[in-house]
Amino acid sequence: MTRMFLFALAVVALTVAAWLLPKSRRHWAAAMRAELAEAESGRAAAGFAFGCLSAAAGEAMRFNILEPLARAGKGSRLMPLIADLPIRPRFLAMVAALIATGLGLAYLAMAGAPARLMAVNALALLIGFAGLALALAAARAARVSAGVVSLALGAALLATSLFGLSVEGASRWVALAGFVLQPSLIFVPLLLVYCARGRDDLSIAGVMLAVVAMALQPDRAMAGVMLAALAVLAAHRRDARTLAALTLAALGFAWTLMQADQLPAMPYVDKIVYSSFGVHPLAGLAVAAGLTWMLVPAVVGRLADPAHGEAYLVFGAVWLAVIAAAMLGNYPTPLVGYGASAIIGYAVSLIGLPARRAHAAEREGSAAAASDTPETSLRVLAAG
Amino acid sequence: MTRARTLSPSARDILAIMAEAGEGWSHGYDLCRRAGIKSGTLYPLLMRLEALGHLEAEWQPPAEAGRPPRHAYRLTASGRELARDNPPAITAQAATLKRSRA
Repeated sequence: MTRMFLFALAVVALTVAAWLLPKSRRHWAAAMRAELAEAESGRAAAGFAFGCLSAAAGEAMRFNILEPLARAGKGSRLMPLIADLPIRPRFLAMVAALIATGLGLAYLAMAGAPARLMAVNALALLIGFAGLALALAAARAARVSAGVVSLALGAALLATSLFGLSVEGASRWVALAGFVLQPSLIFVPLLLVYCARGRDDLSIAGVMLAVVAMALQPDRAMAGVMLAALAVLAAHRRDARTLAALTLAALGFAWTLMQADQLPAMPYVDKIVYSSFGVHPLAGLAVAAGLTWMLVPAVVGRLADPAHGEAYLVFGAVWLAVIAAAMLGNYPTPLVGYGASAIIGYAVSLIGLPARRAHAAEREGSAAAASDTPETSLRVLAAG
Repeated sequence: MTRARTLSPSARDILAIMAEAGEGWSHGYDLCRRAGIKSGTLYPLLMRLEALGHLEAEWQPPAEAGRPPRHAYRLTASGRELARDNPPAITAQAATLKRSRA
């Protein structure tokens, strides 16, 4: 059973590795996958696969971030530098998720958290990426409208507030396969970022349903997240339906402020921005750096790809508000603290970010051609 | 101008193992085991060696039924030259041992 689980984990890791690798390197993923059959044990297979995953992440980082930065670094001003980067926004956000979760694991290790918590976070990232891949594939195949998806997500959140697990008067959780998940951390970011990409009535209806759900649960943090994101969206759109959703979100947030919120802080989950520096200065830095990385895709995307500005702004507003809530109250610290929901939510919300910036295709082609110069290759050989 | 760089011990070990295999083909998992390195170190090396023309790769049919085809590697002439110019590094401990036995 353990052997099967470890082999399955290895296959998932290699699937993510294949996804991370640049197109020009994709055949190496097949090569890695073929070698898995040679592993003599589940443990060896998982070790081999996670090594391949780290290699793929390194390649992705080199191809998508380091080399473009090195090329653009010849410029002297920040704006032209960012504007000229051949960035793939969704991919950059995936790298950010990987780094932030990795820094969170470093913090958890330094804080002496049980290994099981770290394993859950790592597994959540894989599940999140797998969920993102599935959602993208489903969106391509079925062509379901954004409005229908938003409505379904809003209904799911409402169902959680009515039938979910209740602790100290708050109904925010569901139990699934032995894990307790907080659906609002998974669905609300997705819903808001999705809403930023469409302007139909159904999408707004889904958001309004979610606002009501957050008020009913009650969840002050996620109600605040919805208010912040809708405020950003309304400032850009100024249309009647977005303003109506914003008004409802303000009422919902005000309602949650009036409700008692007495959940105590959980170790490794809540209040870790402050407590991590008490563990060790490096643990604190890991937490701070992880939270900063979560916002990098929004900032870089907004500067480099103004054509999709709303999506980046809402994405940034959502996760900045989640981080702010975690700093102000007893709410989960996303990605760097223990908690699968926020990690899955961050990964899945990337579906709302564009895969490519506007007019980037030709830039990407030239980047692929430039990425295997003898000089860069020699650098990696020397470091290997 | 490209600055000459010293190859890492892992790169030297892999080159030595593949040079020893000569015209024979090697596989990723076996290379990891023989060189004692992780797959996360091996594959970036293989990718660079191939990109620089020091390595040729081909898909080989499975040796037995039910197994997938495998990606196999061997050094090109320039790869063998690179291996000759960059023999495996002697560790400090081994060097001390060698001196004490001399």
